[in-house]
Amino acid sequence: MTEMVCVGAIAGAFGVRGEVRLKSFTTDPTAIAEYAPLSTEDGSRQFDVALGRQVKGGYAARLSGVLTKEEANALRGVQLFAPRDRLPDLPDDEFYHADLIGLEVFDTGGASLGRVKTVMNNGADDLLEIHGPGLKNTVLLPFTRAAVPTVDLGAGRIVADPPEGLF
Amino acid sequence: MARSVWKGPFVDAYVLKKAEAARDSGRNEVIKIWSRRSTILPQFVGLTFGVYNGQKHIPVNVTEDMIGQKFGEYSPTRTYYGHAADKKAKRK
Repeated sequence: MTEMVCVGAIAGAFGVRGEVRLKSFTTDPTAIAEYAPLSTEDGSRQFDVALGRQVKGGYAARLSGVLTKEEANALRGVQLFAPRDRLPDLPDDEFYHADLIGLEVFDTGGASLGRVKTVMNNGADDLLEIHGPGLKNTVLLPFTRAAVPTVDLGAGRIVADPPEGLF
Repeated sequence: MARSVWKGPFVDAYVLKKAEAARDSGRNEVIKIWSRRSTILPQFVGLTFGVYNGQKHIPVNVTEDMIGQKFGEYSPTRTYYGHAADKKAKRK
């Protein structure tokens, strides 16, 4: 089964004509329509998205199969997912957060350091937040070629050469 | 009001000492500092500082673009994870 990525959520109905208030989680909020059709978490329903104007808390949007205010309100809180393979390919040394999260991190000696919990940014560099079984708190690893020489998405592993004093 | 130019940039003395020691040792290590108010000086370029954000030390690789700014600007004190969606990370 293809991996799914959460790209938005329905915040409720907008107006009385079956439009929904759509929250977009994508970098460019309007890009959510490009990933359509979007499905619910369990994959039971699929929606085409016609994005309207920007409103408080998101966008007014029309979803296929949602015609009334009651139907729109019934979808409140539903998260919308797109298949991972619908995201465009990236150049070398650029990775989707969704791909990095969950990868196992090894040091250059082959010992496991933990798993990537999330990807953050401190305003200058991207940072991998690593959570390991032996760690009291999470550790932030700079996402640079020096500190992270290898990212192998196929094998689901990252090789890290962290600076002294980080772990 | 901006700081007077004649005073020069402010840096806590211990930050200067630690940076100098790290540069002399030549080791690739994180220099843990608590001084978010210190200005980033040209001699810090290439070093990695762990800048305290009230909870932990955030690693900051100092580059030329950062000179003149404060360490605290690169160590956010609030965390917002949000959704990964199509967000990208670039390895520099």
